[in-house]
Amino acid sequence: MAAAAALWPWRAVLGRRGGALRALCGSVRGLAAGTQTHFGFQTVTEEERREKINQVFESVAKKYDVMNDSMTLGIHRVWKDILVHKMNPSPGTLLLDVAGGTGDIAFRFINYVRSARERQLQRKLRHHQNLSWQEISESYQEEQFKPLGDSQVVVCDINKEMLKVGKQKAQYLGYSEGLSWVLGNAEELPFDDDKFDVYTIAFGIRNVTRIDLALQEAYRVLKPGGRFLCLEFSHVSNPIISRLYDLYSFQVIPVLGEVIAGDWKSYQYLVESIRRFPPQEEFKAMIEDAGFFKVDYQNLNLGIVAIHSGFKL
Amino acid sequence: AHPARPGRAGCRRTGSGAARGAAMLRCGGRGAAAVLRLKAAGGRAASGGHGQQQDPGKGRGSGRPEQQPLEPSLLSFLVCPLSKRPLRYEEATNELINEELGIAYPIIDGIPNMIPEAARMIQKKPPAEDSKQA
Repeated sequence: MAAAAALWPWRAVLGRRGGALRALCGSVRGLAAGTQTHFGFQTVTEEERREKINQVFESVAKKYDVMNDSMTLGIHRVWKDILVHKMNPSPGTLLLDVAGGTGDIAFRFINYVRSARERQLQRKLRHHQNLSWQEISESYQEEQFKPLGDSQVVVCDINKEMLKVGKQKAQYLGYSEGLSWVLGNAEELPFDDDKFDVYTIAFGIRNVTRIDLALQEAYRVLKPGGRFLCLEFSHVSNPIISRLYDLYSFQVIPVLGEVIAGDWKSYQYLVESIRRFPPQEEFKAMIEDAGFFKVDYQNLNLGIVAIHSGFKL
Repeated sequence: AHPARPGRAGCRRTGSGAARGAAMLRCGGRGAAAVLRLKAAGGRAASGGHGQQQDPGKGRGSGRPEQQPLEPSLLSFLVCPLSKRPLRYEEATNELINEELGIAYPIIDGIPNMIPEAARMIQKKPPAEDSKQA
């Protein structure tokens, strides 16, 4: 198994240079509409893929955050911060965070609206200088009841272990209000139409077996005017950086996975799944196919990560 | 041991200093008892009462995980993933029930499991029979 795993990096490097392997990958991707699909660089049925991905996340759940920090040298925190800043949620926003397992985006969202709400209340108080004492005390009471200003985030993930870790983290960090957890499938969301202001999926959509279904569901549950935001590893066009990135991905990351999480295969899957994910323009086309407008993407770190954004109008 | 684990984690936070030792002993016993109670259908109400005694100062949303009721706000969002129709919260079995399709989605550790494969089929009783039994 280790020998086979060692072969994959070389196939990947050759694949990037040669068009033949890429064409094969393309045709395999096309077959995903049927029963055959991909798991990293292997070809499996859709059922097998779902099961394998389930096992991957069950096994990495407890070490997920530690691995993220060591693999990306902590930069993933910056990426997630940029995502929430781009979202710029105002108090009262309803967020659906899909594949949000350990809650990173949800917690950042809560922090953001909390400080936005504080600024909002301070501005209100400053403008009302001629209030009676009763009105002032009432405004302070209002603050107690609504520190988030009715903002809410629902974290939906398909994996129980990831949600468990996320819930424990929330309790440990003291997040309780405005936060809910649901075990659900991104391809079949258990939410009603036109419900949410923002839909985010951070580093999750490449693990979805039917991305088109997930995008359609995202469109369905968003309110008109709602925003779709996707933070995901993407393709690097610069050849030098791409070579270094491949080297790092295939030589360093699985080793880190083995050393820190005791799980080489899961992290091998992770780097392979990044290579299998469609590049920026192709993913943008998929999002447009689902019905979103003003679809755009922003490359972070030269394309290692990209934020795609679309609106439901 | 699975249901007991979240219980123990909750207890670790309730106690502080000297009280922690006593709390852990209590929680250990309660964890085992909770496992047994979970197996019984009506266990939730009894465990719920006990839980309130243990965590007097805690607000909503940070009680023991097994007794954590579903957040009412979440209920307004959730629908059946298959039919997209509203669900009914059944307190006795702690499940979300879709009457039309006759399926029930379990709520585990306060997290509703909305995967259709995990839902269980409930026997549809004709309404006349129900009222006779009641």
